[in-house]
Amino acid sequence: MLRSKTTWLLIGKRLGIALITLVIVSFAVFFATELLPGDVAEILLGQAATPEAVAGLRKAMGLDEPALMRFLGWLGGLLTGDLGTSYVNKMEIAELLSGRLANSLRLAGIVTVICVPVALSLGIAAAMWRGTLLDRVVSMLTISVISVPEFMVATLAVLIFAVWLDWLPALSYGVNVDSLGAMLRAYAMPVITLSFVVSAQMIRMTRAAVIETINTPYVEMALLKGASRWRMVLVHALPNALGPIANAVALSLSYLVGGVIIVETVFNYPGVAKLMVDAVSTRDLPLIQSCAMIFCVSYLSLTTLADMIAILSNPRLRH
Amino acid sequence: MIRNTPTNWTGRDDAMVENAIRRGASRRELLKMLMGSGVALSMGSGLLLRAGEAVAATPVSGGNLKAAGWSASTADTLDPAKASLSTDYTRCCAFYNRLTFLDENGDVQMELAETVESDDARTWQVKLRSGVTFHSGKTLSSADVVYSLKRHLDESVGSKANSIAKQMAEIEAVDDLTVKIVLSEPNADLPTILSLHHFMIIADGVTDFSTADGTGAFICESFEPGVRSIAVKNPNYFKEQGPYLDSFEYFAISDNNARVNAVLSGDIQFAAAVNPRSLRMLEGQSHVETSITTGGNYTNLNIRLDLEPGAKAGFIEGMKYLVNREAIQKSVLRGLAEIGNDQPVSPVDRYHNPELKPRPYDPEKARSLFEKAGVLGQAIPIVTSDAATSAIDMAMVVQQAGAEIGMPFDVQRVPSDGYWSNYWLKEPVHFGNINPRPTPDILFSLLYASDAPWNESQYKSEKFDKMMVEARGLLDEEKRTAIYWEMQEMVANEAGTIIPAYISNVDALSTRLKGLRPNPLGGQMGYAFAEYVWLEG
Amino acid sequence: MTVSSRSTRFLRLPTPRNLGYSFNWAGRIGLAVMLFWAVVAIAGQWLAPYPPGEIVGWDYFGGMSREFWMGTDYLGRDILSRILMGARYTVGIALGAVTLAVAIGVVLGMIAAVLGGWFDTLLSRLLDAFNGIPSLLFGLVVVAAVGSSIPVLILTLTAIYMPGSYRFARALAVNINTMDFVTVARARGEGTAYLITREIFPNILGPVLADLGLRFVFIVLVLSGLSFLGLGVQPPNADWGALVRENIEGLSLGAPAVVFPSIAIASLTISVNMFIDNLPTRIRDRSD
Repeated sequence: MLRSKTTWLLIGKRLGIALITLVIVSFAVFFATELLPGDVAEILLGQAATPEAVAGLRKAMGLDEPALMRFLGWLGGLLTGDLGTSYVNKMEIAELLSGRLANSLRLAGIVTVICVPVALSLGIAAAMWRGTLLDRVVSMLTISVISVPEFMVATLAVLIFAVWLDWLPALSYGVNVDSLGAMLRAYAMPVITLSFVVSAQMIRMTRAAVIETINTPYVEMALLKGASRWRMVLVHALPNALGPIANAVALSLSYLVGGVIIVETVFNYPGVAKLMVDAVSTRDLPLIQSCAMIFCVSYLSLTTLADMIAILSNPRLRH
Repeated sequence: MIRNTPTNWTGRDDAMVENAIRRGASRRELLKMLMGSGVALSMGSGLLLRAGEAVAATPVSGGNLKAAGWSASTADTLDPAKASLSTDYTRCCAFYNRLTFLDENGDVQMELAETVESDDARTWQVKLRSGVTFHSGKTLSSADVVYSLKRHLDESVGSKANSIAKQMAEIEAVDDLTVKIVLSEPNADLPTILSLHHFMIIADGVTDFSTADGTGAFICESFEPGVRSIAVKNPNYFKEQGPYLDSFEYFAISDNNARVNAVLSGDIQFAAAVNPRSLRMLEGQSHVETSITTGGNYTNLNIRLDLEPGAKAGFIEGMKYLVNREAIQKSVLRGLAEIGNDQPVSPVDRYHNPELKPRPYDPEKARSLFEKAGVLGQAIPIVTSDAATSAIDMAMVVQQAGAEIGMPFDVQRVPSDGYWSNYWLKEPVHFGNINPRPTPDILFSLLYASDAPWNESQYKSEKFDKMMVEARGLLDEEKRTAIYWEMQEMVANEAGTIIPAYISNVDALSTRLKGLRPNPLGGQMGYAFAEYVWLEG
Repeated sequence: MTVSSRSTRFLRLPTPRNLGYSFNWAGRIGLAVMLFWAVVAIAGQWLAPYPPGEIVGWDYFGGMSREFWMGTDYLGRDILSRILMGARYTVGIALGAVTLAVAIGVVLGMIAAVLGGWFDTLLSRLLDAFNGIPSLLFGLVVVAAVGSSIPVLILTLTAIYMPGSYRFARALAVNINTMDFVTVARARGEGTAYLITREIFPNILGPVLADLGLRFVFIVLVLSGLSFLGLGVQPPNADWGALVRENIEGLSLGAPAVVFPSIAIASLTISVNMFIDNLPTRIRDRSD
């Protein structure tokens, strides 16, 4: 289907729109940052921020230029692939970011690979055998799991597996990850915690979407025609539910890049979520912008992918 | 160990006992000494045992120490002038040296300086140690010291010590190993001022702080702001003793529970500043112990004298009676604090005025004072934030006390983000947090002089300003003490800053980590522990 | 057959009379727990044995006792009183925010799906862009610009959770919109309002309710995070998530101060979702 011209056109259009969205977000982030009280010089000096000291530092940092000009300069640099320099520590943002982005993506990748298949299978199974013990158990478990605050899951995991049982290291970064075993041990707890958080949404939404399509006349018709239950769900119901499911999965996964601040904090795992928090609290505009762009790109690519799946899975939408 | 430690037991007492043991005091004498300070006999023996261990233990070399502080961000820096978080202080202490430092008794000791002398407290001669080398191999000379100190005067550096450094009117090299410092006004405290963490000595001309070229006990191997630093032992360290560790890794775990758990699980050997609430978790753990430092750190409730409602006569006094200091000490700070008497010179400071008693908790008196001020029943806002240690809990204690006498305080919790630039010093009633400073003069000139940059309650008194300048130049200790005592009284009675308690710092550490001793400048041995500690086993 | 059955299904939904008789046991338990917390939320301040800010003892993380049924917290305050007072904030704020977020999201999502074209594109991309602004930044800007109060908190949560709800509802509605019965209705000349209320909404109701249940959980949990931005419930009161968070040091001691608020959260969120899960079943069974 991908070969059809309209699909390509659609993808091209979406990419173009995504670019425009990025620029809009960038401006929005800029104005939001400007709205926040205090600038980087004041924040850096903290309690020592006397007016003269602030003025002196501002000048030395090149902050006396209007903020909008600095922002436009940054945006211009972005076109050439230059993310700029951090105000706070004078390091290249690309350098600051690369290692931590890799960390974040690695963690997100592991969680995705584990969670998506499991969550989808559980969701579909719960929908197929709806009302049975399996369905009830899955439903209760998923809800119970997300009803526990994330910081509590993380803290409890550390307490049980690192402090009491001494099976896993309490920290995930800075420990030895030379062997596969050591790496599995280091990643076990963050992955478990995040899986708890993101799979519940995917399971429940998949279940709900599949059930809803089973109820549509289209599938009811197939059932009347004598299709088997398996066939009915996999061939008739699932393709129709794919759009909503893909969207639910995209929304869940988008959380994994920028939203994992608790996991990063508790397991001392340096990722981009903490970087963003640092950037905002020091009003480090180029770093805030760069992080926001990363979150936005990941969010947009996930949702665009979801929209594409929705369109491709429903032939009637392709026109 | 914690259970054996009385609440008013301070690092100073520990040090006092240890010093007494060194002097060869008998057990009986020591117990008498402890009885004198109000420690029960059974407790006293436990403390003696501990102090005896600290003296008897012989350092062993080797090992890699992993230690965690509590705050880190991309603003982490190796530039001592810009150091602002405890994490920065710890790193700077490992990589650099100061001219002087404060020992565990709060006395000034020489580090890179051999002597710091003056006849008139105005013109000072600093003689440097010879043969000290930087990590780069360069030899320490007076030019490095001049450069390091002068940087603080340059506003474009963004030094945190700018306001203190301003009094150094002239800084020049006399010869290769002598520096002359001329102050704008006499100040007998210069040797102590030079022990501030910001006055670390860096090599002449350095502007790049992506790594650290210092004279310190450790050489910086890698440093990622907001992530971690790894340091290795400096084989050419100028001090005879130490460092003992082969390497020193430092990072921050901002979540208190995670920090405590990491030390409990053995992933790190040292966790700085654990919340007193976690102490019960550490109790009964044979492989983890705690080190308690009572210094001059405090969180205070500031009421501006120049704004409503602080301008109304009687309001501030009423508030001073309404703050339940015992509840703050016992409940909010879990006993790891000393009750404060509304002035910044803490009990570990030699100039502390013990005759100045904290005001009692007297809600009825507060009520009548509020009534007189005409504010009773008004919902007065109290601005509080996580930015100041325990300020939210303290605000709730005040709020509850107010509710009981018909004073419905409106506690406003604001973000810690930007707190110091947006709310602190500005709101009519708000919380602040002040870190320990080594001398009363620094505290007074930063916080209470009429032109003080952080005059939290806008306290203005010509008499006070005069006394401050007079005491600063005095070399006569007795006279100086008398003036400082009176100034403390003035602050406690006249200013609008309520200092309910001096907060202790609690570090948690593996029992394998030895050699750690409390220091009045703060936890982690005044942030300088890396070069003094060793790992056993 | 489809059109008529679907519209009756919709018409029967919202009246309590119709909901009243055919709950299964799970739905009933869910409803009972929800009603229990609703009553507590309203009557909490009269039920609480102590003021929520009063320090009732010097001990901390105290155990359960006759005086303090659920023990005391890290400051020595009565946890039962704090949970009772917190119910109002937790239930009220989460309910308000989730209703607004899902209602706005679903209505906009359906309109976008039915109308399509530039309206759909513009709204979708705009909300994508809005979602691209990190919520930390958004929260701080809200505090800086309009300060903190309960209505502001509810609106902020609405703004954060609405785009997700919109996206999911739109994805569902787009699929339904291509169904034959919608095409038929459109050919009949029915207007957009009719299509949305009679054709689309009844057919996406199940997943939308499931989405609402989840969002409710998320909002209950995120409340305590927002108080760090100065946006949350103001002292001496605290929402349940904040109670868990401020007493988390008691976790390893098994302190009731951390256990009971967690149970309160779990009982509320599980019951809401149990109720939702069992609600559509009843309705569907009746319409068949």
